Amino acid sequence: MAYAFLARSGSLLKSATLAVALLASAAPIARAEGGETLVIARSMDINALDPARAFCDTCQIVLTALYDTLVGLAPDNKTIVPKLAASWQINADQTVFTFKLDPAATFADGSKVEAKDIKWTFERLKNIKGSPSFFMDGVTSVETPDAATVVITLAASNSEFINKLSAGFTGIINSDVAAAAGATAGADADKADKAETWFLEHSAGGGPFTLVSYRPDDELRLARNDAYWGKKPYFAETVFRQTQDAVAQAQLLQSGGADVAMQVDMDTAKSLHGNDVKTDIIPSYNFLYIALGAGAKSNKVPLTPDVRRAISLAIDYEGVIDFTVGGAGKSQPSPIPNGFPGTEGLPERGRNLAEAKVLLAKAGLADGFEIEAVYPNDNVYGVDINLMMQKVQQDLTDVGIKVTLTPATYPVWRDQINGAGIPMTAVYYAPDYYGSGQYADYFAMMPGTAWAKRAGAAREPSVINAKEAELLKKALASGGAEQEKNFHALALEMINDNIIIPLVSPNMVLAYRSDIEGVRYSACCNLPLSEISRKK
Amino acid sequence: MLRFVLRRLIATPLLLLGVATVAFFLSQMTKGDPLSAIVPERQMNNPEIVAAAKEKWGLDKSLIERYGLYIGNLVQGDLGVSFTTRRAVSADLGERLPATLELVMAAMLIATVVGITLGVLSARYRDRSVDYISRVFALLGSSLPVFWSGLLLLFLFSVQLGWVPGPGRLDARSVAPPSITGFYTVDSLLNGNIPLFFESLHHLLLPSIVLAWSVIGVITRLVRSSLLEVMGQDYVRTARAKGAGEGRVMLNHALRNALIPTLTIIGFSFAYLITGAVLTEAVFSWPGVGSYAVSSARSLDLPGIIGVTLVGSLAFLVANLLTDIAYAFANPRVKLQ
Repeated sequence: MAYAFLARSGSLLKSATLAVALLASAAPIARAEGGETLVIARSMDINALDPARAFCDTCQIVLTALYDTLVGLAPDNKTIVPKLAASWQINADQTVFTFKLDPAATFADGSKVEAKDIKWTFERLKNIKGSPSFFMDGVTSVETPDAATVVITLAASNSEFINKLSAGFTGIINSDVAAAAGATAGADADKADKAETWFLEHSAGGGPFTLVSYRPDDELRLARNDAYWGKKPYFAETVFRQTQDAVAQAQLLQSGGADVAMQVDMDTAKSLHGNDVKTDIIPSYNFLYIALGAGAKSNKVPLTPDVRRAISLAIDYEGVIDFTVGGAGKSQPSPIPNGFPGTEGLPERGRNLAEAKVLLAKAGLADGFEIEAVYPNDNVYGVDINLMMQKVQQDLTDVGIKVTLTPATYPVWRDQINGAGIPMTAVYYAPDYYGSGQYADYFAMMPGTAWAKRAGAAREPSVINAKEAELLKKALASGGAEQEKNFHALALEMINDNIIIPLVSPNMVLAYRSDIEGVRYSACCNLPLSEISRKK
Repeated sequence: MLRFVLRRLIATPLLLLGVATVAFFLSQMTKGDPLSAIVPERQMNNPEIVAAAKEKWGLDKSLIERYGLYIGNLVQGDLGVSFTTRRAVSADLGERLPATLELVMAAMLIATVVGITLGVLSARYRDRSVDYISRVFALLGSSLPVFWSGLLLLFLFSVQLGWVPGPGRLDARSVAPPSITGFYTVDSLLNGNIPLFFESLHHLLLPSIVLAWSVIGVITRLVRSSLLEVMGQDYVRTARAKGAGEGRVMLNHALRNALIPTLTIIGFSFAYLITGAVLTEAVFSWPGVGSYAVSSARSLDLPGIIGVTLVGSLAFLVANLLTDIAYAFANPRVKLQ
């Protein structure tokens, strides 16, 4: 609040305070110079501010503001648009990507963005073996024929590679500045790079903002990059204020202490009223799902394809959406979110108790069975996973399946899911960029994927679906309608696997003061800060 | 007394070493994946990334090796690097401890003044309306969960009435004063920024009242019962027989003696709140040690957990020592040996 209490009359305390304040020397409170401040109330999940090491939702927002990427994602959340690269060419088999840099592009210190910076950034991202290093999976070389040209070669076709380059984690670093701070891109970067702490206090990019300060669990402060080569942001300063829960975020928004809150759940959003605050309820690409561990050690019965399908048919999907987000969400048949390549026309999942019972009887489980569900005891994207699992438990009772719910802390859950496996679990996912390949790489029953392992492929090889690897390969080697067709076929296979059963894709609440404009959700970058302004 | 204090001071590092050892092995025994704070879930499948993370954070070493390294570093004042914030734990704690101390000191000041006042009033007007009201007030403070009372008071006084600012140590649009003590109230004064001093004081008001309210109940009850006990003593009767007024008897004769057990509670409440102000810090977005303890525990940030444990232990040891010294000053019959 802008110290309104000093101007109000009232209690003795306030009068006394006012008197003392007036008597005291009037040194101004330090504030951003030369413009306004945008305040975002947010529970910050930052694990690093080094683009090669960071990996979190807040990091998506911050890194996009600090570091320009080669390409961007248009507001339609589908079209790739130029950013640092003014143009690009992709060879026929989608293995060689040639980028021409925009000659006007500069870093915040005024130096030109050169091909060597792109090479250095991408090699460092790969070699540092950090959390987002997978963005460089498949890259065999980054060449710089001249200062304005970058040629990236992949080991295998990947038509979605360019989409990856719109993510903030691939933001281009000023190599000279970072190297002087101890960063290195060499093959031994995972050991030799000493810049992680430096990046918590400095930025070395050319994005619309620069990092001023970061205090974990307190605030993160960005200043407008006044030398920005693109369209300069409206706000001179952006402050992320650590605000743990949805209610506190809503209160801060209502009191005017914050301008934007993005983690307000549906119930809290209903309490936001008046002319001062606006809420946009928009579909998101985030989703929550249950996953079945066919090879989990503690399974009491084999989770065969028939049993898995019976489980999927016993769930009341509409009821889950009503129960968890009051209907403010949508169902999602495959692990690839609706709206991503290949998802148009996918058959919706639905409840069919009769068929579920037939399938269970066929599996010799007409009387049902017991199964344990272990899941992180969290509230994610406005969904209480505990509540969601209670609904699943209730639904499965109708076909005789007795689910024991075991909520666990996240580290305990991770220990179990990556160890002996879990018969049934519930998790969540948000996209890193616009593209369906990321979902196949993570969820498909292909050898080596995270969920093939967790589903117990080592103990139960039958979960592997050989068609999926082939379909992914075809999808990544093609473009346009052909790519769409292959991803569609892949999504159908993933639906039939019934290892990953999406339950709800909750709508997102964008809550902001009514004089704020330009707040939108981006599939690559979460909240593009540079587009936000205040109405004049 | 000097020998007593010196002996206790010398024993403190040894006790902390013991605490560190217990905390280290307990945290290692916890069922959970310590990599969960380091490697995001989606990358757990990548053996290269997992191996690099284990090596970097020393998780590839044996338990004994890790313990040796930790204690070796601890003796040199190095508490390790937080898995979550990626900064030195000592730097994290050094930044957060002043925030917590500022909040807790303000809360203890309020709790002590209000608690003793209510305790005296309750004893003075025993079984009368003042007694009942103060006891109900104290009981509410002890019983209401802070996350509820905090949010409610925040909604009422900040959102609805606009009397106090929202969460945080300062308005988000204000810049913190250059750090000298880490106490925003003190630092803003030292920097000659009076408006910022009032702003930080204003931000401190509601969280410290909420935190104080939870302690007021204990102090009130203790002062009341101690006073009632003391009021029946011979020396109080003697004072009355000599013609001293009831107010003087109560404040000069009875209260001084009744306060001795209260000192213990105040001392321990202070130490408890250093790491126990978790909910208040969460509700009021107060970046202190309590919120650090929660985030460290949730993400199994082992260096962070042990660091907070050491700070908490140190707070109790110091509070204990100060309480003992205060005892000796308050009651000359107590000899520190």
